[in-house]
Amino acid sequence: MKRLINRLLAVFGLVSARRYQAMTEQAERLKVTANEWKTRASEVATRVRELEADVKRSARLAQKSKLSVDKMRQRRQDIDKLRSRLADAERELIVAREHLMAIEVKLDILEGAANVLEIRTRSAVSQHHNQTSAPA
Amino acid sequence: MGHAAEPFLSIVLTGRNDGYGGDFVARLARALRFNHHQLESRAVSYEVVFVEWAPPADRPRLSELLFAVAPELERRAFAWYVVDPAYQTILSLNPRLEYLEFLAKNVGVRRARGRFVLTSNCDVYLGRRVLEAIQAGQLNPRVVYRAPRHDLKPLTTSVLDWTLLEDPKSLAGPAHVLKPPYMGSATGDFAMLDRESFHEVRGFNEVYRVARIGIDRNFLVKALSSGFTIADIGGPVYHENHEGSYRLNPRAYEGREAEAPWGDRRWHSGGVSYVNPPTWGLGLAPARSMAGGTVHLDFAWEAIPPLVDLRGVVVPAARRGGPSPGQYVRKR
Repeated sequence: MKRLINRLLAVFGLVSARRYQAMTEQAERLKVTANEWKTRASEVATRVRELEADVKRSARLAQKSKLSVDKMRQRRQDIDKLRSRLADAERELIVAREHLMAIEVKLDILEGAANVLEIRTRSAVSQHHNQTSAPA
Repeated sequence: MGHAAEPFLSIVLTGRNDGYGGDFVARLARALRFNHHQLESRAVSYEVVFVEWAPPADRPRLSELLFAVAPELERRAFAWYVVDPAYQTILSLNPRLEYLEFLAKNVGVRRARGRFVLTSNCDVYLGRRVLEAIQAGQLNPRVVYRAPRHDLKPLTTSVLDWTLLEDPKSLAGPAHVLKPPYMGSATGDFAMLDRESFHEVRGFNEVYRVARIGIDRNFLVKALSSGFTIADIGGPVYHENHEGSYRLNPRAYEGREAEAPWGDRRWHSGGVSYVNPPTWGLGLAPARSMAGGTVHLDFAWEAIPPLVDLRGVVVPAARRGGPSPGQYVRKR
């Protein structure tokens, strides 16, 4: 009987008050759910935008890093070159020092020779002077 | 043991009767007596080449004194050279340098007959290991053999034995250690090399006649530069301390190095090499035989090398795999 009445009401587009109440509550729940999904979708969209910004930033950083790596590589090559030049300079320094020592030793010899020649000259001159100034 | 045509060993010594270091004759006799006894007991054929350099005219010659003090020394084991004092006067490039020790040693090295030539000093006692190495005869050519020096307190006994020599209480200080590459330190007391190689390098430096200190070390630079090896023979020699020894007070002339009787110790002895003239060791000095087997080297101008021979000062050569012979030390 109840089923028959419901069918009859349905023919006129009507529902029972209880059914109406239930449908309304369901519609409310769906509305809330829809709002929640909207909020989530909005959040996701924000996150996507953030991630896109991150990607862009990372790409910029990657580009920067690549430039730094290239620079570092160049710098390393420069350092290797400098090291090689330093080793050459050290070798040249050793050779220069050896020559400096040889020169200083030669100067010692020259100084020594000058000293002994001076002494001998003074002695010879003094002897000569004594001989020539001696009374006959 | 000194009459062999080519003895195994020539010991080159130099000195004169000038009272150097106190009682020089007693120290000389003591060391010669000990070394003679040790070498003879080991049947080592040897000669002592003694160079009496520029002896004072107013004192008896060492050759006259020594054999009177130590008659047990076999005169025939000695080749004795007396060098005219004019050589010291003419050759010295430093008026304060009274004794051109290494030129004197070159006189002996040039005339030595032994297969190996040991240049040493008058108050040096050969150690046990040194004697064993010489007795074994397994010495290599082109190797400069070195021995560290152990300094002894002044001795009072006329005869020395191993007990006294090897007693740690006899040592005047800590024993010296030889350090590569030069194995330097008191090289003048023990440098041994085969005669041929000694002639190849033409002895000790005769170009730098401004100092006698460091000439021995400079010889090691020359040896390395010539491709020779420097090796520790395995044991020490002993040296009797005495007054006036450089070792006792090496800083005695600090700040006035030019006044030192041994020359300026700061010269670059470790950094340069040399090329002696072919007449090294007074090769052209006229020799005159005298009584007692002594040979007098008379003065002659042709025996004198040039006063200055700057081309004789050279940069040492580095050898592949070998140590660098030169090391700069700031002098002034």
